[in-house]
Amino acid sequence: MSSKRASMMPPPPKPPTTLASSLIIAEHASLTGTHLIALGANTAIHPRTKLISTFASITVGSNCILSERSIIGLQSEPENAIESEGLVLEDSVVVETGAVVEARCVGTGTTVEVGARIGKGAVVGKHCKIGPLSEIGEGEEIPDFTVIFGNGMRRIDRSGVENQKLKTIARQVEVLRKLIPSNLAKFQ
Amino acid sequence: MTSKRAVKGEYIETDTGNKVSRRSQIIGTTNIILGGKTVIQAEVIIRGDLLRAHQNGAEKQGTPVAVAIGRYCFFSKGCELRPPGKVYKGWFSHYPLKIADHVFIGASSVIEAALIGSHVSIGANCTIGKFAILKDYVKVLDGTVVPPNMVVPSFSIVAGRPGRVVGEIAEGEVEGMDLREIYRGIGNG
Repeated sequence: MSSKRASMMPPPPKPPTTLASSLIIAEHASLTGTHLIALGANTAIHPRTKLISTFASITVGSNCILSERSIIGLQSEPENAIESEGLVLEDSVVVETGAVVEARCVGTGTTVEVGARIGKGAVVGKHCKIGPLSEIGEGEEIPDFTVIFGNGMRRIDRSGVENQKLKTIARQVEVLRKLIPSNLAKFQ
Repeated sequence: MTSKRAVKGEYIETDTGNKVSRRSQIIGTTNIILGGKTVIQAEVIIRGDLLRAHQNGAEKQGTPVAVAIGRYCFFSKGCELRPPGKVYKGWFSHYPLKIADHVFIGASSVIEAALIGSHVSIGANCTIGKFAILKDYVKVLDGTVVPPNMVVPSFSIVAGRPGRVVGEIAEGEVEGMDLREIYRGIGNG
């Protein structure tokens, strides 16, 4: 549409990036900030996902899925040295629609469900499940295999199906590769 | 509208009477069916691109549908419709999200249901889990998290986290669930 007026604001700074060649990133995803954003192999980034590296770097492992409207990255000045080290999502992390992740580290195989919020400096273990709309406070540490559901109720899930879950995520990424047109060049 | 300078309204009205906000984010429009007279407000996301995956060999027949919506539905600001996905027989695939007539979805709710029946009203900030089925005349109160795969019977009221059936809709209350009036109230004027 030619009638659309361009914004008068200067475009936000493009952050330095390290993108794996097998990354799937939708054109309407947004990467902003000044610190490094590193995205691993076979990771899928849906349209309208926001990665903000204004205050600290972001490292995303392989086989991750970041869904639309989720926000990854610190949204305020880090208060101590640990927080300013940056945000790490390990491998096979799934962040669903509208979730906000400001954690220091989210472990392998963890799923952050719709609208959940993980506070600044929190550390989430491996194979956790953070239920819809739940919140994890700043600096909290969540042990491996924790399931958070309802109004902050917790339990440990040792059912031993982690490997199947990882396979499911890998299959999901392969399907998303066919569905989401990737535009790697825009973000390099 | 003859002049290009005419003030553009918020909504685009289609031939079948759908009122779609210019600020909605609809992805994969060719895979979405709108029955007509449906209102889509600003910042609504509809993921029509999450299509059913076809296994090698089995070719798809006809036009693919990711989201099917009936008549007189109302999608409030910031809500999202997303076809659910799962592994079936070793293959991951998304499955169509079907919504019948007179369905109201509140602001910022995320819908990953398989089926939503007619005259269903969903409040604001709800999460409808993957493959949930809401039958006709269901009311979901604000902030409810309907767990994945839940089947909600007709005339129930659902609330809580996780969502549970907390009551029933009396026969007299059914009249309030007709959305024709609010459809007429939405427009560029």
